[in-house]
Amino acid sequence: MKQAVLRLPAFIGWRNQASPALMGLALAPIGVILVLVAVMLWVSFQRGLFGTPTAIYTLENYQTILSDPFLYRVLWNTAIFTLTTTCVALLTGLPIAWLAERTTIPGKTLIYAIMTLGLLIPGIYTAMGWTFIAHPRIGFLNRWLVDLFGLESAPINIATPIGMGFVQGLSLAAVAFILTAQMFRAMNPTLEEAAQVHGMSFVTILHRVTFPLALPGILAAVIYIVTIGVATFDIPAILGLGNRVYMLSTYIYIKVHPQGSGLPEYGITGAVGTFMIVVAALLTSWYGQVLRSGHRFEVVTGKGYRPALIKLGRWAVVGWLFIGLYAFVSKLLPLLLITYAALTPYFAPPSLEMMRQLSLVHFYNMDWELVLRGARNTATLVLVVPLLVLLFAFAISWLVVRSRSRARYALEFCAFLPQALPEVILAIGALLLALFVLREFVPLYGSVWLIAIVYVVARIAFATRALNGSLLQIHRELEEAAFVSGLSTLRTARRVLLPLLWPTLLSVWLWTALLVYRELTVAVFLGIHDNITFPAVIWSYWYAGGMNKASAVTLLMTAVLAPLIVAFWWFGRRSQVPT
Amino acid sequence: MISIQGLSKEFAVSGGNVAAIKGLDLEVAEGEFFVIVGASGSGKTTLLRCVAGLELPDKGTIRIAGQVVSSDNPPTSVPSQQRRLGMVFQSYAVWPHLTVYENVALPLAEGAQRVPRREVASRAREALRLVQLEEVADRSATLLSGGQQQRVALARAIAVNPRILLMDEPLSNLDARLREEVRGKIRELAKQLGATVLYVTHDQVEAMAMADRIALMQAGEFLQVGSPTELYRDPARVEVAEFFGLMNWLKGRVVQPGLAETPIGPLRFKGAAAPAGEVLLGFRPECVAILESASHAESNSFPAALRSSMFLGDQLVYHAAVGEQLFAGKCRTVAACSGGRLQLYIDPDDVMLFSAGKRVDQETAAARPSAAVRAAG
Repeated sequence: MKQAVLRLPAFIGWRNQASPALMGLALAPIGVILVLVAVMLWVSFQRGLFGTPTAIYTLENYQTILSDPFLYRVLWNTAIFTLTTTCVALLTGLPIAWLAERTTIPGKTLIYAIMTLGLLIPGIYTAMGWTFIAHPRIGFLNRWLVDLFGLESAPINIATPIGMGFVQGLSLAAVAFILTAQMFRAMNPTLEEAAQVHGMSFVTILHRVTFPLALPGILAAVIYIVTIGVATFDIPAILGLGNRVYMLSTYIYIKVHPQGSGLPEYGITGAVGTFMIVVAALLTSWYGQVLRSGHRFEVVTGKGYRPALIKLGRWAVVGWLFIGLYAFVSKLLPLLLITYAALTPYFAPPSLEMMRQLSLVHFYNMDWELVLRGARNTATLVLVVPLLVLLFAFAISWLVVRSRSRARYALEFCAFLPQALPEVILAIGALLLALFVLREFVPLYGSVWLIAIVYVVARIAFATRALNGSLLQIHRELEEAAFVSGLSTLRTARRVLLPLLWPTLLSVWLWTALLVYRELTVAVFLGIHDNITFPAVIWSYWYAGGMNKASAVTLLMTAVLAPLIVAFWWFGRRSQVPT
Repeated sequence: MISIQGLSKEFAVSGGNVAAIKGLDLEVAEGEFFVIVGASGSGKTTLLRCVAGLELPDKGTIRIAGQVVSSDNPPTSVPSQQRRLGMVFQSYAVWPHLTVYENVALPLAEGAQRVPRREVASRAREALRLVQLEEVADRSATLLSGGQQQRVALARAIAVNPRILLMDEPLSNLDARLREEVRGKIRELAKQLGATVLYVTHDQVEAMAMADRIALMQAGEFLQVGSPTELYRDPARVEVAEFFGLMNWLKGRVVQPGLAETPIGPLRFKGAAAPAGEVLLGFRPECVAILESASHAESNSFPAALRSSMFLGDQLVYHAAVGEQLFAGKCRTVAACSGGRLQLYIDPDDVMLFSAGKRVDQETAAARPSAAVRAAG
């Protein structure tokens, strides 16, 4: 090992002599991903007791799901949900991105702050808030409308695929914003100016030049959002599970955690999971193709062109109304209602009467042992996962950027894999692995470390891309100068590489920490008694019907989240936030 | 000081392996300023990086001061850190997060040959004094101009008292005027320190101005190794002749020792070589003399028509046609080649004879006294 680290040519000339330490670090997370996928496939072809001689290899699981009318219903729900999600996200995110990048609208820093906040505030907040707003039974908006117009039933139902899609869309609008804003920024404004000079009108330019040029970027954003939407768990779980409206991800959940006396159907889960892997893989390869074809439109220009900004004048007010409405509907109103719910003994539409009943009763009655256990587990994850992600991602990035071996392309591709795999899939894969492969030999089931492993591999893709970008900008000769002038590899890392990479490392750390802190999907699938996380505590209260208690825990969680978000934002202003 | 035997290195590229270096041998004496020159992709930087320990050669042995630092048999590779080198990189590789002083002091304080703490400051200051950067020692390295950054890199390289100073196109990022100034200073400094220098460049003028000896590299091989005057006046191959300056070429056939038949008539050359078949006769533009119109009778003298001329201040470059053949020439005064008709003279001493790309009228390189004098100095 010492040999491997100290021998510089081994470090550099990967082709000649691999450095086992570095290679090991790079390949470990990729190996885990491949194992998770393999286990899922393996389980999907079995009936009986998996991994024992009594297991039968069969296609029965696939036959069962293909002949299950309920699953077709679920697929239909998922399609409607995903379509709604994509429309809402794009119709909100795209105009705001256009306003921020291509017009003279004032307060652009604030727009970016609002949208970054949108990325960081968990989707479950919006989902919980919208339950209080528009649930057919308790939603205050429904109650008000029923009272006001003397209706017989609630006019709005948020617990439908369209309703959930709306909430998910609000939550993903920030993603749509980030993706399309990048596209607008990269667009060469001289192409529009050329159209202007040659006499085309504003509308014609928008229609004939801007839109066609933006099309690949928009399509890429659409595919990206569809990929998330198809497999997302938290919002369909919060809004749909209690009302028996199922998506693919929540369908998998009830197969693993059946209500009543049913037994978990792991084989079915494996088969559905395999189906989702195929869908995700197809979507991701399509995404890659669209991105590549988008480069076709990239016209080589000199450095630093300034985009021509469209003068908005009084229309800026309309723009800000739109942004304000988005912020209010997606973040502010849900947060207000969560706060309200946390402080009232039961949920009823806000009224003077209810205001008199405000109290901290839910905080007194909270199962503090549970909450603290959740907080402790989450703290462990936040401390461990981002550091491991940085370590693995650095090893991968270094090999991808600095090595000249052809194997680096394979490595780069593998590091991108987790991007294609939904968290539900990784979670199910890890669950099956712990239950049927590792079993009692490595007792990971029910351990926080199982969750940690999934978190690490799930975040590798993002971290690797961010680090690749930074490492590419650090000339390799800066490292070589240190080697030649006698600095050991470790000292070179500490004295040269680390100080230069510091901003990126810190922002990747913060971003990963935030995502780990708020993550619900993996935590719910893998969490049992001892390894419950902070967000999973909210979920367990909510799922058991304790909406007000869940809101109280949410407030607690936000109290911790807020300073982290402020830190992220404050830091993000000083360095480029990776997206 | 540096001894290389049978060095080979291949790189993997899409569609197979490409040999960057093909079985090179090289000896560099202590205190010698040795320049490797060649076009981009000729393998010169790879060679330098093999010496530095930044690339692992596939075959061959490299010795520094008698010590094997790299070999394929038995497999040996002394890490860069322990080779005790100084290196100036093309990008300078000045660490941007440190000050000028810290850039120079870091290898001293934390490098493999740990310098006692109290000596670090004095040695770093001394190195900065040598490159005249004392007064900006505490400034951030990135705030300096390109020329100053280049000197920081140089100071860092010499501060560690290296056994060899390696330089990888250190001047290519400087503007032309500064480049000329700095190359003199680097050579001066190297000689003052008695350093053994291995210097890589693509610029033949830079190579000739700085080197004790030059190796011209092409496609991973040395075409010729020798002193600047040798390579310029006695190129062993057509490529070498063309690399170091303009050449006039004539196709011809040797009819008797010292005389070739060419399209412009018989041309005398020195030496007794008489290869069969077609030969190439070459001479440099500055070897073309313009005769007073009176002396027509001499051999190697040809009437020519002036086609174009360019006045460059210190010289005048012209093109003149002898029959169908166009020649480049250089002279000092405008008057000498004004008027449309010229009588050109080519000294037989200056005519080089090549056959199949190789020199055939070769005098031995050692016979040139000038080369020996420069190498010794």
